[in-house]
Amino acid sequence: MNLRKTKLFAALCAAVFAVAAVTDASAALSRKPQDNLIFASTNDPLGLDPALVDDNDSGKINCNIYESLLRFEDDNTNVKPGLAESYTVSEDGLTYTFKLRQGIRFHDGTPFNAEAVKFNIDRQMPENAIPKMSYAGLVYGDVAKSEVIDEYTIAITLKKKSTPFLHNIAMTYAAPIVSPTALKEHGNNVMEHPCGTGPYKFVAWDKGQQVILTRNEDYWGEPGKVQNLIFRTMPETSARVVALNNGEVDIINGIDANVIPEIQQAGNQLFSAPGMSTQYMFFNVNAAHNSITKNKAVRVAIAKAINVPEMVQSLYKGYDTPATTLLPSFVPGYSKNIKPVSYDPEAAKKELADLGVKKLTIITYSGARLYNTVGGQVLAEAIQAYLKAAGVESDVLVYDWATYKNKLLTEEFDLGFMGWNGDNGDPDNFMNLFASDDPINNQGVWVNQEYRDLVAQGVNVPDGAERNAIYEKAEQIIAEEVPFLPLSHPQILGAMRPNIQNFSIHPTGMTYLDKVQKQ
Amino acid sequence: MTDSAIAVKRSSKWGDMWASIYANKAALCSLIFILLLVATAIVLALTQAMGLQILPYDPNTGSMDEAFIAPCAEHWFGTDQLGRDIFSRVIDGTKISLSVGVAAVSIALITGTLLGAIGGFFGGKLDNLIMRAMDVILSVPSILLAITFMAAMGRGLDKAVLAIGLVSIPEYARIARSCVMAVKANDYIQAARVTGDSNLRIILKHIVPNITSPIVVRATLGISAAVLDTAALGFLGLGVQPPFAEWGDMLARSRSFIFSAPYTLIFPGLAITVTVLAFNLFGDGLRDALDPRSRRR
Repeated sequence: MNLRKTKLFAALCAAVFAVAAVTDASAALSRKPQDNLIFASTNDPLGLDPALVDDNDSGKINCNIYESLLRFEDDNTNVKPGLAESYTVSEDGLTYTFKLRQGIRFHDGTPFNAEAVKFNIDRQMPENAIPKMSYAGLVYGDVAKSEVIDEYTIAITLKKKSTPFLHNIAMTYAAPIVSPTALKEHGNNVMEHPCGTGPYKFVAWDKGQQVILTRNEDYWGEPGKVQNLIFRTMPETSARVVALNNGEVDIINGIDANVIPEIQQAGNQLFSAPGMSTQYMFFNVNAAHNSITKNKAVRVAIAKAINVPEMVQSLYKGYDTPATTLLPSFVPGYSKNIKPVSYDPEAAKKELADLGVKKLTIITYSGARLYNTVGGQVLAEAIQAYLKAAGVESDVLVYDWATYKNKLLTEEFDLGFMGWNGDNGDPDNFMNLFASDDPINNQGVWVNQEYRDLVAQGVNVPDGAERNAIYEKAEQIIAEEVPFLPLSHPQILGAMRPNIQNFSIHPTGMTYLDKVQKQ
Repeated sequence: MTDSAIAVKRSSKWGDMWASIYANKAALCSLIFILLLVATAIVLALTQAMGLQILPYDPNTGSMDEAFIAPCAEHWFGTDQLGRDIFSRVIDGTKISLSVGVAAVSIALITGTLLGAIGGFFGGKLDNLIMRAMDVILSVPSILLAITFMAAMGRGLDKAVLAIGLVSIPEYARIARSCVMAVKANDYIQAARVTGDSNLRIILKHIVPNITSPIVVRATLGISAAVLDTAALGFLGLGVQPPFAEWGDMLARSRSFIFSAPYTLIFPGLAITVTVLAFNLFGDGLRDALDPRSRRR
C-alpha cells in the first residue's frame, strides 16, 4: 500500500515536471546573459497578428517577427525595399507592380511568393475584413484588386490615386505579410501563433509576463545580433526604472522626464528622439449633444485661458515641444505660418463670463500614454487649474483607458484628451482623423465640409508644394475653428544599460532590435 | 465608611476612566492629537464654507511654473507636479479623511449595533437571518467589496463613505449581539421583566448602557481602519474627484517620484501613519480604561 502510494506520487511528480518542460519552451534557450536581450515595456501586447492589432505594444514586437513589401529607413519614414526588391507605378498612377525577393521562407517553412502576398491582401479587402482589422481600411481601402503576375511579381491596382499608399504598405499594422499556411491552420487568426519572415521568430508568450523570440537562423538578410529577445511587461514606471538600474532588464521604454536623472545617475544611457506624434485637447462639438463647446466663441475663449507652452514645459520638463498644429514639424505639410489662438488670460476671463460659461465637464484617462508620459489625470488637472483661473469651475471624470474609449462614445462631456502616434510619416495619416465620422478618430465629432474636401484632395496630389499648400489650408481651418487644441509633440524616450549598443526607437514608435548588440 | 464607598463609586465611572487615560501617556498624546485634527477639520470646513482661506496656499490650484519645489521656507512640505503646496494639501486632506472616517463608522455603528442588538435580544430565526447575512458580508474581503461597490456605483466620496461603512457593519453587529446576549442573561433583566417593563424600555434603560463601552472602543479603532480604507481606495484611484486633496490619492500619484521628489510622498504618507497610529493608541487606552479587569492589572 505504502509502496504503491510512493510510486503513484513519483509518477505524478514526473508528469508534472514533464508538463512544465513542454509548456516552458523557453527552457531550451541559452541562459548566457549576453544572448538574451530583455526589453521592459508598459503593457502586454494585444496580440501578434499584424492585421488584428492597432497598439504600439503589439507593433514593437511584430516589427521583429514580420516584414512588409517596403520598409522605413532607420531613422525616418522614407520607404525602401523590404520583401519587394523593386516596384514600378503605371502611368495613370493606379497600378503598382512589385518584384519580390526570391528564396525567402516563412518561419514555418512555407515559401514566400506572390500568392502569399495576395492571400494577405485578400484577407483584409473590404469584403473580407472583420471589425477587429482596424487598419485594413487605411491600408487596403483604396485597393481595387491584386493580381499574381508570376511567382515573384504581384500587381496591386487602386480605385483612385493615393499618395500615402507606399507609406501605408511599409507599416507594421495590416501591411506585414503573414504565412498563409499559419493563417489557414489557425482559422485566420495568428494572434498567438505569429509566423512571418522577419529576423526573429516566436517562441512563447506567457500572458501578462513576457513574449520570447529567438533568432531566425535562416533569415534572408543580415541576421539578428542577439540570440533571444524577451519583451517583458512591467506596468509601473518606477518598477521598470528600478529593474533597469539593477540590471534585471536591458532596455525600458515609457519613461517620463521626472525619472531621467535617476536613470542617468545609475550610469545608464538615454535614448531620445522627436516623436512623430501629437497630443491634443478636443472639444465636444457633436451636433447630437448639448455641450456649450459647440459654440465656436466658447472654444476660442477656453483656448485663450490655457498657456500651452508653460504647461508643456512644466509637465514634460522640456522634453516635449508645445504644438501649434496637428502635424509634427518634420512631417511634410507642416507649416510654421499657422498661429493657433494664443494665451490671453484677461480676455479669456471676460469672454467666458460674457458667454455665461460657468462649469465644464472634462473627461480623461488615468494612466500614461506614449504621447502623454505624465498621464491623463495630471494633464486634466493642469487644464482644470487654468480654467479656474479664468473663472470656470470644472469636473474631471477619470476612467481607465478601455473604459475611457467607451465613455467617449456614450457620455456627454465638454473637453477630453487624446493623441495620435503617426504610423507612416504621411500627413494624411494625421489629417484624415478629423475628416472621419467615427468618434474613435474624431472624438468631438467635428464636421467641416471644407476641411474634409481638402483632406480628400490631399490624398490624390503627389508629394510637393501643391500638396503642402492643401494641408496648410486645412491646418488654418483647424486654427480658426478650434475643434481641438494641439498641446504637445512628445519626445520618444527610452533607456538602456551601458552595455547595449545600436538601440533606437523609430519615429513610428517601433523597435527594430535586429541590430542591437549586447556585450 | 459605607457613605464614602458610595461616593467613590459614584464619581468613579468617568473619573477612573480619565485617570486611566491620563496615566497612559501614549493614549493621552493621541487624544490631544485627535482633538487637534478634529479642530483643524472643523475650522477648515467652516472657513472654506465662508469663502475664507486660512491655509498658506489654495490646496487645489497651483502654478505650473512652481512644480516640484523641494521643502523650503515658502513651501514647508514642497510642491507637487502641478505646483500645488503640499503642506496646504496635507492639512486640507485632514477634513476628508476624518469626515469619511467618522461618517463611515457612524453608518456601520448605527446599522450594525441595531441589527446585532435585535438579533441578540430576540434570538431565534430573526437572529439567524441577520447573523448569516453578516457572515456573507464578512466572507468577502472588505477592500474587495468596497472596490466592487464603487465600480458599480461610480467614484466619489459619498460612495466611498457608503462602501467603507457597509463593509464594517458585521463587526459592530457581532459585538453588539454578543454583549446583548451576555447582558440579557443577568438577573436584573429578569427582574425588570417581572416588574412589567416593555422590551423597548429594557433595551434602552438596561441593555444599551451596558454594551456601550466595547462598542465605543471598537468605533475608535474603526475610525483608524476607515482612514486607512479611504487612503487605500484613494490609492486605487477610487476616492475623491480631482483636484481635491486626499492622502491616499496624493500618495498614489507621487509614487513614481519616490526617488526624484520623495517629499511628495513622505508627507501624505506620514499624515496617514500618524493619524492611524493616534486612533489605535487612543483606542487601546480607552479599552484599558473602560475594562475594569485590564485597568487593575
